[in-house]
Amino acid sequence: MPALFLKNINLQTMSNEELIAKLKPIVANYAQDKDALENIHMDTDFIKDLKINSANLVDVVLDVEEEFDIIIDNESMERMLNVSAAIEIIEEKLAEK
Amino acid sequence: MIGNDIVDLKQAAQDSNWKRQGYLDKLFTTEEQFLISSDIQPDIMVWLLWTMKESAYKINSRESKLREFAPVRLICNNLIIRNNTATGNVCYNDKLYYTRSKIEDNYIHTIAATTTAQLDLIKIAVIKTTEHQIRIDNPSSVSHHGNYLALVYA
Repeated sequence: MPALFLKNINLQTMSNEELIAKLKPIVANYAQDKDALENIHMDTDFIKDLKINSANLVDVVLDVEEEFDIIIDNESMERMLNVSAAIEIIEEKLAEK
Repeated sequence: MIGNDIVDLKQAAQDSNWKRQGYLDKLFTTEEQFLISSDIQPDIMVWLLWTMKESAYKINSRESKLREFAPVRLICNNLIIRNNTATGNVCYNDKLYYTRSKIEDNYIHTIAATTTAQLDLIKIAVIKTTEHQIRIDNPSSVSHHGNYLALVYA
């Protein structure tokens, strides 16, 4: 599967900025604070800053799983409350592939 | 310490598709999913269990000052539904929380406390408003969602 292999390599070598850029449209679907969304950065908190409803946090997790073709276990999900944690988890799961 | 959580059922139907693949697995235990799938109103059961988890979590996170998103580890037990009220408890990080819920046509509201005696003393005000910043008489716990604001007093 050369095409898939190449896609994975690209994802694994992504910078934080590139990962944030991929994360932004996902959280945009659920963020109620549009100003915080525009200024999204590593320390942005999904609930406190973006005002994502906690029931929608699971949608963010499911969307991230689909976008990056990874599985986020419950233990990882527990700490996925902000951008930097999300990026750390995405990088971990991509590296495990 | 007490906690509470309100879900505006119309808003929830708009914002969340709990039938989405993988959704329930990330939020509910196998036993809770069984309660949902065997209920004649699965939507109501989803949001009833969710408000139980949220109201218990709010007490725990305020006491421990720790935050995490671990809905499956907030385990709902002993749920009894009678007419439009429900009682139950939630186990989380080795702590037990007692809950009492009101199931209305447009919303579900749950209160939580560490003892049933404390639960009996809670006073509740549910206000239909989108002005979520309103506060009256220094409530112990506040929850808002969609068209509803809930203020509860210990």
